[in-house]
Amino acid sequence: MSIYLKLVKALISTVEPSTEEKSYNKIFYRIMGFIAVFGIMLPMAFFVGVVIYALTQPLAVQGAGQNAVELFLHLIAVFSFIFGLNVIFSVFYFSGDIESLLPLPLRSYQIIGSKFTAALISESVMEFIVIIAAFAGYIIASGRAFYAWIIAIFGMLTLPFIKNKDMVNKITGFLTLAVVVGIAVLVSNMGGLDTEHLVDALADPSNPLLTVMNCIFPQVHFLVSSMVNNTFINLLFYLAVNGLAIAAFLLIAEGVYFRTAVGINYVSGKKKDKEKVISSLKMHNPCLTYLKKEFKILFRTPAYFTNCIIINLIWPVFLYIVYLLNGKTNFLDDFIYKIHNGDEESVLILILAISALSVLITAANCIASSALTREGKHFAFMKYIPLSYIAQINIKALVSIIISGAGMIIYVIAAALYLNLGLKMTIFCCLVSILSVSFVSYFGIFMDSVNPKLIWDDELNALRGNYNVFFNMAVAILLEGITCAGSYLLFKFTALGSIIIVIMLFILLMILNTVSYLLCSYKATANIDKLSV
Amino acid sequence: MIKFENVTKVYNKTVRAVDDISFNVKGGEIVGFIGPNGSGKTTTMKMLTGIVKADVGKIIVNGFNVRKEPIKAKESIGYIADSPDMFLRLKGTEFLDLIGDIYHVPTDKRQERIKEFAERFELSEALSSQIMSYSHGMRQKIMVIAALMHNPPVWILDEPMVGLDPKSAFELKQMMRDHAKAGNAVFFSTHVLEVAEKLCDRVIIIKKGNILFDGTLETLESTSKNESLEKIFLELTEK
Repeated sequence: MSIYLKLVKALISTVEPSTEEKSYNKIFYRIMGFIAVFGIMLPMAFFVGVVIYALTQPLAVQGAGQNAVELFLHLIAVFSFIFGLNVIFSVFYFSGDIESLLPLPLRSYQIIGSKFTAALISESVMEFIVIIAAFAGYIIASGRAFYAWIIAIFGMLTLPFIKNKDMVNKITGFLTLAVVVGIAVLVSNMGGLDTEHLVDALADPSNPLLTVMNCIFPQVHFLVSSMVNNTFINLLFYLAVNGLAIAAFLLIAEGVYFRTAVGINYVSGKKKDKEKVISSLKMHNPCLTYLKKEFKILFRTPAYFTNCIIINLIWPVFLYIVYLLNGKTNFLDDFIYKIHNGDEESVLILILAISALSVLITAANCIASSALTREGKHFAFMKYIPLSYIAQINIKALVSIIISGAGMIIYVIAAALYLNLGLKMTIFCCLVSILSVSFVSYFGIFMDSVNPKLIWDDELNALRGNYNVFFNMAVAILLEGITCAGSYLLFKFTALGSIIIVIMLFILLMILNTVSYLLCSYKATANIDKLSV
Repeated sequence: MIKFENVTKVYNKTVRAVDDISFNVKGGEIVGFIGPNGSGKTTTMKMLTGIVKADVGKIIVNGFNVRKEPIKAKESIGYIADSPDMFLRLKGTEFLDLIGDIYHVPTDKRQERIKEFAERFELSEALSSQIMSYSHGMRQKIMVIAALMHNPPVWILDEPMVGLDPKSAFELKQMMRDHAKAGNAVFFSTHVLEVAEKLCDRVIIIKKGNILFDGTLETLESTSKNESLEKIFLELTEK
């Protein structure tokens, strides 16, 4: 046991983000941390709690009060599963410490168990917060007693274990996408999101979504049933399912881990004719070659491919899910009708939504906010090559703009065709999108330059536990939130027309772009220069 | 070619990694940089290449001030870092093309040099594979090829022999001699005193950020009667 605990402690220390020693950066980090906690984490948790509370009350009337929290826990389980897949392979097979751990006189289950625990602890902070909020929403709405609180706290601490149930899958990126598409299909069979329909659908005992989810994650059902019915036996079932899952997981690990882990980092390559290989070497523009290098690393590294590239493909599916959930409402039809008739408010909302989504997607894929961190141990390369820092920053920003921007433009064009927006409006929407993407890209690189996390064992570590990614997202969402809310309020409460407000938004985006570019030109280059690696 | 003038580097305001050092490396010279672990060798080399910023002093490479004309200074340098684990997801050819483009190596020169070096290091077969599949020695070899591709006037090597098989180590030493013979400066750090003994025109011994000795091996040996370089080194650094 002591070996296991010592391993866990050692492994957690390698995941923790580095702390900045300089006092001005400490203050900067505290401010960013404050924005992240109070701007994102707590509002999100509060929102989850309120939604569960609002749904539980009408469901309780129909005798299915637990279904909202059950569905939410299933969603958390699915998210854990989706994002856990990347973690599993990266942590168990591709991390840099594997080669140090395998020669030690340790059993497979000790390595796997400690790595699993360390990954679980470092991955589940946000999950715990939203699960607390969901349980709170349910318990307050249903008036449950002390026992329910005990079960809820217990479930909160043990629920994320389900993420390791399906570790044996190698095509994690595409599987992730497949899972999300699967949810979309299930949701499409469920009904609309207006409260009345959703409550009816959730209260329906033959609800396909809950039925399927209960088969995949049975322990969630046992946990919720235990809480609702105050039955100890369901809690035992819940514990048994989790216990069995962990036992099976460790047993399989003991049997196969060494056989699969040894030599897994070997990469085979086709042998090519020597002359052809040499003749393929040709002179190109250095910036173009550098750009290609960035793309190749992003696409060839599984952790980056899933977290930075595939995530851009998941967004439209999520939007499609939202669209499906709205299927039976008139809101979207009304919105489309208003857009067709040139309703100023609807057009403004559309433009603001495009800008907000562009910011969110760019911040979430963290291509920019981990651009320097991803250099890791070979960060020095950036410093000793004869290519200016700003040129390298521009290339890294361009990678983010191309990947995030290309995705957004496809969605904007698709939406424009669906909404019949017209060429001028479509071009304008694309411009707003690109300006939003570009601002977050440069700002993300600046944020990463303040304190890049250059020491990591595997590529996933470069992304997770990286404060810069989180802070960039927090600041970008905050700025965009203020911009969108401000624009809308100006429209609502002043005599300014939508055209003036959209022009103001355009100018504001230009200013944000200029500021973030200048931050990169002066501060980020200075930060890179100062870094001793 | 390389000029260090009263250079100091202090980490975290307390650790004087390099303390007011001065030395020169002329064209045509091979200079070995020797010292125990943590003596300031890597910091010195990193300051030379622009990776670490010197707090005080002036560093000139091929006539260019590293702080004032960094791009020109960097263009003059071929640098082999202490760890060759770089861009493991790129193929050997992709990495060399990247370096070739960054240092503006024309296509014909690039192909000619890579072909020659790859054959000398017996690496031609592996060039089309990802660097991740290379052994430590192979990674070191590709770093050597990358650092020499643009025929730099100043070659800086941090522990270049680590991981190389005897034949490749021999080839590398020969390359260093050839490079110096062509009028270029070669400055390298090593722990292997035998290598320094056989290869260097001059050695610089550093300890705790201070230069203890700068001169030819003959001068060093003349300070102690009939003692090996190893013993002299130990006496110097353990004082």
